[in-house]
Amino acid sequence: MLAYVLRRFAYGGLVVLGVLGVLFVLFFAIATPDDIARRALGEKARQEAIEQWKSNHGYDRPMWPIHAGEFRSDNLLFHHYATMLRFDFGSSDYDGVPIVERMQKGAVPSLTLTLPLFLFEITIAILVALFVAVFRGTYIDRAGLVVSVLVMSVPVVMVIIGAQYMIAKTLAWFPLSGYDRSLELIARFLALPVLVGVISGIGGEVRFLRTVFVEETSRDYVRTARAKGASEMRVMLRHVLRNSLIPVLTRVVLQIPFLFTGALLLESFFGIPGLGSLTVDSINNNDFATLRVIVFIGAILFVVAQIITDLSYALVDPRVRLE
Amino acid sequence: MSRSRFAAAAQAVCLALSCNNSPYTDDVPGEKVIYGVFQDAPRRLDPAEAYDVVAHRLTGLVNDKLLDYHYLKRPFTLIPSLALEVPKAELQPGGGVIYRFRMRRGVGFGEDECFALSGGPGARTREANVHDIAFQIQRLADPRLEVQVRDSFMNIRGFGEFMEALGKRRAAEPAFAALPVKQQYDAIGGMPGVRTPTPYELEIELEQPYPQILYWFALEFTSPVAWEAVQYYDGLEGRDLFKDHVPGTGPFRIAEYDKQAKFVFVQNEHWWGHRASDPVTAPAAFYPSEGEPGDAEAGLLDPKYVGQRLPFVDRIELRRDKESIPGFYKFLQGYYDRSEIIRESFNQVVVNSSVSPEMAAKGVRLSTVVSPSWFYLGFNMEDKTVGDPDGERSRKLRQAMGLAVDRQEWLDIFLNGRGIVAESMIPPGLFGYDEKYKNAHLGPDLARARQLLAEAGYPDGVDPATGKPLKLTFDTYATNTQQTLRDEYFVNSWRKLGLDVELVVTTYNEFQNKIQRLAYQVYFWGWSADYPDPENFLFLRTCAQRRSTNGGPNSTNFCNARFDALFDRMRVRENDAERSAIIGEMLAILETEAPHIELYHQAEFLLVHDWFHNLKQFGMSQPMNKYYDVDPELRARRRTEWNQPTRWPAYALGLALVLGALPALRTFFRERQ
Repeated sequence: MLAYVLRRFAYGGLVVLGVLGVLFVLFFAIATPDDIARRALGEKARQEAIEQWKSNHGYDRPMWPIHAGEFRSDNLLFHHYATMLRFDFGSSDYDGVPIVERMQKGAVPSLTLTLPLFLFEITIAILVALFVAVFRGTYIDRAGLVVSVLVMSVPVVMVIIGAQYMIAKTLAWFPLSGYDRSLELIARFLALPVLVGVISGIGGEVRFLRTVFVEETSRDYVRTARAKGASEMRVMLRHVLRNSLIPVLTRVVLQIPFLFTGALLLESFFGIPGLGSLTVDSINNNDFATLRVIVFIGAILFVVAQIITDLSYALVDPRVRLE
Repeated sequence: MSRSRFAAAAQAVCLALSCNNSPYTDDVPGEKVIYGVFQDAPRRLDPAEAYDVVAHRLTGLVNDKLLDYHYLKRPFTLIPSLALEVPKAELQPGGGVIYRFRMRRGVGFGEDECFALSGGPGARTREANVHDIAFQIQRLADPRLEVQVRDSFMNIRGFGEFMEALGKRRAAEPAFAALPVKQQYDAIGGMPGVRTPTPYELEIELEQPYPQILYWFALEFTSPVAWEAVQYYDGLEGRDLFKDHVPGTGPFRIAEYDKQAKFVFVQNEHWWGHRASDPVTAPAAFYPSEGEPGDAEAGLLDPKYVGQRLPFVDRIELRRDKESIPGFYKFLQGYYDRSEIIRESFNQVVVNSSVSPEMAAKGVRLSTVVSPSWFYLGFNMEDKTVGDPDGERSRKLRQAMGLAVDRQEWLDIFLNGRGIVAESMIPPGLFGYDEKYKNAHLGPDLARARQLLAEAGYPDGVDPATGKPLKLTFDTYATNTQQTLRDEYFVNSWRKLGLDVELVVTTYNEFQNKIQRLAYQVYFWGWSADYPDPENFLFLRTCAQRRSTNGGPNSTNFCNARFDALFDRMRVRENDAERSAIIGEMLAILETEAPHIELYHQAEFLLVHDWFHNLKQFGMSQPMNKYYDVDPELRARRRTEWNQPTRWPAYALGLALVLGALPALRTFFRERQ
């Protein structure tokens, strides 16, 4: 198993290095340091200010190791890899604030939104999927299907704007947007985004989980359990749910990295100062330094989550061997 | 979970379910607070580097300048602020000019711990004087800082030499470069053109006359900056950076600065205006008693406010709403005092240039102002088809293209009429703007356009060299289809003449690259004034600012000796009849040569609630919050009235779910039996 884990981590490392290479091409070769500087300083910026900005941000190095026929160790490509792999992320292209500081500040608001959203969504989705699986073929199953497809079909932005208009503006139940860092007040601002997140995400989850559960309920051991007189509740929760855990785990664990990277649209529309909002800001402000870090961290989390998913198979299913 | 945490969590759940949609949790009844919104945080607050509208709207609250603008008068008029009077230019025998500023006493910096560096432990403020302004001018010359307006100060005697000496010494002596900047500046020896004979007198010597320098002393770039703040907020020991933490001498100071969520400004206890004696000697500390025609009728000269000491509000709180729709809804709920109008709701909110009856019934007013800005379609005058090398032929082609565009229709369709059609570069509110002036080469006049095109040798738009419609490219950048549609309108207008104009839409970066490489024929661009003087627009067409030769902002590369000669005369004159005549002649040259097609001057539409008083939009980036007042009691009543929760849909939804599931549950249990 150790060899398997080491091998997976080695593959993961290669993926991360590849991501860094793609990031370099995207953010330095396609959008050159001159472009980045010009976007940062605005249309009125003179060339002298652009040069100063590049110098202040370390973008005045040659881009490639071979520059004008000479080898230059002080080049952007090496610098990019070296700083990223040392987790020395530097400061924002936009306003010079250290990126680590900004990410630390954004992580808590993101988690306060995404964690309850994730837990509510997965819990409700499992319960609803079990419920409709029990009543498969009935009007409840069909109603569940229709509602699931309906919420899957509506773009998230529409759900957000609709909920803000109906629930916050017209019905006046919750604040339209905003955030407060105190524990006492946080739920007041998070109630609506969590509700919207659950509504817009639950359709797909229910459809997927229902399929898994329905397939599982048709297996022999379920019939045996029922024949032995086990209650439907016991059959579904003890037998069906437990034996459906591998596909459920795959889906759930792979969502965990996105808890840290935040919810882009929800944070933007609800004014939650998290990492999703930071990502949108970085895109809008051409803050390529921050974007590079967000993508890099996201890639690492995703690779780690994939490895954890594989390892967790062995935990939930003794038949799985990691070799 | 500890008991207190459990209590807090329980309280949070209760609050969440309490059906209260107020985004404010720390309202103090009766406190005069301006509630506003911001979409993006400024890049930096350092007055030397901050150069965008978002930043100036904040830095202007915190930093006072030697000069300021009269709140109500138009054209824009300078008044003394930290200075005792607006200085006159003193011409020197060698052609230079001296401005002598006398600064008032008792100007205090907003409280900040950085002042312990000079005042010892516990010191929280100190008096500002002209040394702080001289220090800031030295910062403008500091090559390490990304100062975008440096060119405007290069005329100060010794400014360029100071910059060069500082850069060279830093490069040569690393130990020197590591010293606090104040010590570095002192070691270089200052600038001969910035003199401080006493702590309250500042002499600025220019090598050549440049009357517009006074406008720069009404901008934050020249506000007093405490060396202690620059030295203290250096990012070391976990402290903020100076660019995010600026103690200033303005009427407000920063109490909370969370770039992702909110900014809070409170009154600066040490503001000089609190101790100013009267409106005559300190006009920037009192509400004005005169304005322009129409101000009295608009309630802007209410005796309740005239001559009263500023500011009227205790606090300014700006919340972040990155998306415009939630921000607008919160305005409608009464949680913001003012709001721009979102495009999606424009036609519901504004009817016939006035607020709709529904809005009026809620007490909402509409405030509009045309800002000192100018948008245009430019021609590359070095292009062989549309530019100068083709002489008369290309001139007529450009004129014809200008006559083909219906700018009013374009404004109405794509900007909801938020602007006025431009006849020249100079926007309303600036000296040189003539309301009656009509540019003869601007449309729509298709018949004349076709005639000019035929005279240019392109009858019906056909290029005789190819026998096909004349092919041109129109370069633009767009981030959405709306912008592309906006630009297609022009292409379609020119198509009516028979021209085959290809719209080349690229990314912003690619567009900028094309501009740098001069690889364009026609392009769309605009300019917003740094200060309200025609010079700040007309310089855009001088040879000295040509992008092709000098890298300046004159992207048309228009160069005309007569225009330049007139510009040099206009630039140094006071506002008088002769200056007006010179400007008229310059505009006539542009009208004939048509290096660009004038499009519009942008108008800003703002909705305001009836509890908000004294709003007169300024049009430029300087914030005027010290003149505003609010009625917190009326606002509280309105908020309560407009935000009563409606609970029955929740009960109905719950009931529907239960009733919907009942038959299934019944069947289920019956089967189990």
